Amino acid sequence: MEAGRSPNIKMLTNADFLGLEGKPGDFTAKLRLRPRYIDADNCTACGLCTQYCPRHHVDKYNEGLAMTRPIHIDYAQAVPATYYIDPGSCLYLQHETCQICVPVCQSHAIDFSQQPEELDLKVGAVILSPGFGKIGEKTLEQFGYNKHPDVVTSIEFERMTTASGPFQGEIKCFSDGRHPKRIAFIQCVGSRDLGCDNGYCSSVCCMYSIKEALVAKEHDPSVEITIYYMDIRTQGKEFDKARQRAENMGIKFVRAKVADVTPWKNNLRLTYSTLEARHSFAEFDLVVLSVGLESPKDAQGIAKIAGIELNRYDFCKTETFSPLTTSREGVIVAGAFQGPKDIPESVTQASAAAGLAAGLLTKQRGQGVVHKSYPEEQEMGDEVRIGVFVCHCGINIGAVVNVPQVEQSTADMEGVVYHTDSLYSCSQDAQEVLKQKIKEHNLNRVVIAACSPRTHEPLFQETLKDAGLNRNLIEMVNIRDQCSWVHATEPDAATDKSKDLVRMAVAKVRGMKSLPEQTVPVTPKALVIGGGIAGMTAALSLSDQGFESLLMEKGKALGGNLGLLNTTLAGDESADYLKGLVDRVRKSKLIHVVTEAELASLSGFIGNFSSVVASGSGAKKKEITFDHGVVVLATGGREHRPDLYLLGKNNKVVTQQELELQLAKTKKAPESVVMIQCAGSRGDDLSYCSKVCCNHAVKNALKIKELNPDAQVVVLYRDMRTYGFAEDAYREARLGGVVFIPYDVARKPEVYEKGKKLHVRFFDTILQEELDLAPDQVVLSVGIVPEGTQELSKLLKAPLTDEKFFLEAHVKLRPVELSVDGVYVCGLAHGPKPLDETIAQAQAAAAKAAIPLVKGAVSVAPIVSVVDQESCIGCGLCASLCPYQAIEMVKVDNKRKAQTIAASCKACGICASHCPSFSIAMGSFTNEQINAQIAAFGGVREKEKAEVA
Amino acid sequence: MGKGMEHKAGAVMILGGGIAGIQAALDLTGLGYFVYLVEKEAVVGGVMAQLDKTFPTNDCSL
Amino acid sequence: MSEQFSPKILGFLCNWCCYAAADAAGVSRYQYPPNLRTIRVMCTGRVDPAFIFRGFIEGADGIFTGG
Repeated sequence: MEAGRSPNIKMLTNADFLGLEGKPGDFTAKLRLRPRYIDADNCTACGLCTQYCPRHHVDKYNEGLAMTRPIHIDYAQAVPATYYIDPGSCLYLQHETCQICVPVCQSHAIDFSQQPEELDLKVGAVILSPGFGKIGEKTLEQFGYNKHPDVVTSIEFERMTTASGPFQGEIKCFSDGRHPKRIAFIQCVGSRDLGCDNGYCSSVCCMYSIKEALVAKEHDPSVEITIYYMDIRTQGKEFDKARQRAENMGIKFVRAKVADVTPWKNNLRLTYSTLEARHSFAEFDLVVLSVGLESPKDAQGIAKIAGIELNRYDFCKTETFSPLTTSREGVIVAGAFQGPKDIPESVTQASAAAGLAAGLLTKQRGQGVVHKSYPEEQEMGDEVRIGVFVCHCGINIGAVVNVPQVEQSTADMEGVVYHTDSLYSCSQDAQEVLKQKIKEHNLNRVVIAACSPRTHEPLFQETLKDAGLNRNLIEMVNIRDQCSWVHATEPDAATDKSKDLVRMAVAKVRGMKSLPEQTVPVTPKALVIGGGIAGMTAALSLSDQGFESLLMEKGKALGGNLGLLNTTLAGDESADYLKGLVDRVRKSKLIHVVTEAELASLSGFIGNFSSVVASGSGAKKKEITFDHGVVVLATGGREHRPDLYLLGKNNKVVTQQELELQLAKTKKAPESVVMIQCAGSRGDDLSYCSKVCCNHAVKNALKIKELNPDAQVVVLYRDMRTYGFAEDAYREARLGGVVFIPYDVARKPEVYEKGKKLHVRFFDTILQEELDLAPDQVVLSVGIVPEGTQELSKLLKAPLTDEKFFLEAHVKLRPVELSVDGVYVCGLAHGPKPLDETIAQAQAAAAKAAIPLVKGAVSVAPIVSVVDQESCIGCGLCASLCPYQAIEMVKVDNKRKAQTIAASCKACGICASHCPSFSIAMGSFTNEQINAQIAAFGGVREKEKAEVA
Repeated sequence: MGKGMEHKAGAVMILGGGIAGIQAALDLTGLGYFVYLVEKEAVVGGVMAQLDKTFPTNDCSL
Repeated sequence: MSEQFSPKILGFLCNWCCYAAADAAGVSRYQYPPNLRTIRVMCTGRVDPAFIFRGFIEGADGIFTGG
């Protein structure tokens, strides 16, 4: 995790939040830091202390499924990578005995004299992201948890299926260790349940249950899995497909409420009742409770200290149109504390919160951050002078690999002028030694044989820069993760392997060159495409952060779909909000609005885009050229119009959007309405779920009941997907007399005309009989389709999903970025979503887009490709193969030549491996270097081989 | 112990070092601000660090 | 035959996936035979077929690319 390395993030772990005084821009936060009893600067995370600690300690990270020691680290990749002592079970801290760990630690990191410290922080803004809490055991016990060992929670099951978990990924019953053959998942444990005062839907359980079921099925294809559910809420982007995959793999979905789980011989018996009120039993080996997300355990404490309000479920209270703003100015919320949500939603909110905080503190931008400076780079000279440093890593490498032998083996290698070993090469003092030796022996290439370059190369590169060497003049050899750890019982073979790997690295570094650090300046402006709520929010957010943008809208007015809505599910007046938003956009000096606009062309790359925007029509038509550093796509979507259920043929058949306008206009409600959900969605014209229609139907049903309490409203649905706090409105509608009846996809409702009457015929799955109604109106929930994404996709070379929504760079961790650098997406162009999610996503896209604008330059890793235009034959193969559009064909002296766009290059090397004239060099991975490595692998007289290469 | 005092102009405090907190911290440094990432446990990472794979693509979560 | 055949294997590992997986194998202390010698690349797209031929010329009994 990158956060551990940033000089501008100070991590304060083991910290309690005690107070928050002051106002935005000038808060004082009070914290108490509990001691770790281990000095983080000295701890090398070698793990010796845990081996020697005599006490057992329940491993919370593994959900109590394993034991660890009071002195431990949760997992190998933990940040900070420092062990800590749990005072609750440490013998010394409890009884003043033991202290075995103190002399065991070779780096003298253990310090029992540490005391709690109080700390005041001066901060300009606060972001609350405390996550979520666990469902109480009492709720779990209703389903046999704690009473029978084979009833486990979904998170315990997750740890069980994890290959690096306590059972190495083996799924077994706790009672007798057998492999379960029948597994049941019970959904909505602690969610949608007023019994435990959690009336909301936790929004993530359906997804993780399907995931865990799929993983269990992969482990053992013969295992039978049944998921007991009320509604399967896989409303997120591409989520229904995974559900389909699960069904295809034979995972059974049963719509039923589970009443009880009781022991039955060696197994467990589930008592459940299905929709038509039939009671049944089923036998299982293992029962998994899909536990919901509770508000954080200390939510009330945090709220009191931070001075913010909570909602009725103790989550942070926010509004639809300002989803991340708490009741205290300057305090922003993100993640599950705002309401149960999955990873991409949390990541989106986090970026949005960062942008909001930045918007509050524009004046102080850049003042508090640390910029490191380095000495000037030394001239390398022609002579190759290699230094080899072999690390023992305490006993991690040294106990298996014969480190002195490996080090000695380099003595007569060509170019090696210095070689040594060290106990921990990554330690602070070893870094000083490294710097000193570089100077002393005038080294110009360095080989470090230690651990993984993936974790430690940046550290050594920093040291090289400090020593005045170019940071590319180092090669790391991984003799720990990929040698001593995996060949622990074969010390001789491991030593041989280390020698070979070091020899190959030495061969490689001989050909290393200093690579220049490249930066590309950025035009600090944004092009925002789409003038709906997403685009306007993004442009305003950028303007709050001090950046200029051009907001282009293809229609005559700003507003998009929001103009078609009347109220939100929470009852806010959307028209008022829209007017306020448009006013703010129009008033902002940094936003240039162009309506009736069309993108005539767009070219360039991150930092340096140039677009031509055409606007107006006829004689008023004009074109402007706009240079910008980033692009925000907010092109939106529209209601889908399926040719189903007589839509467009009978005027009594309308869509939810049309009904909403009709209700708002006439202020009168029809006497009887039948709503049909998923009309054209989830398998018909559209393969996906549009996420908003269930809420829209509930909102309109409630409105009808408000206008006309006697009206008959029947909603025919497949799964009601009123996730999150919208579940409350769904419950309210049911209590208010709205009738919800699920239909089977194999038996869809039928709408037909009989005389002047409109009829709906459907199979009532509750009464188990066919019904025929003649309502005043039939209302269809029709779903959302994206608009104009295909043209833009071609222009930007940005990929789309099968459904023609933009495909984000990483669905979990980079939800608003596209794979093309400098292009961001938000709103319906990314996928169907409700207003609050659109707003948060637009704020997130603006925050992400602002990052290169703030930096003012895009820095390029020096390992990018370089085309030798002398030998390039201009075939264009590389440009056609590059997955990042990072190679362009240019005219040089009237000849076609390839040229790398350094800012877009990801250094994958596909171009280099395909170039027929060997004209493309990858920094640090040149043909010469890799060939030298292969030659050294052969181990034949290297000099000879190097000449061949 | 003495009371510490820290002052960095325009710093932001983030309470909670799960995926949301870490992402907000990284973005804020990118936007030019100093961040205090405050976590009540001994490690950051939150619940996501406990997950093996993620839905719907079953990618690795670490 | 008194000696067992012990192949020399050369591996090209993608920095982002296979090399990371090999690190993870180490973290979990999986044990595997020590016959593999690896070359890290930023993507297996970098692997020119010529590298593979050269590997065999240099005496590799098998070549592994992971990405």
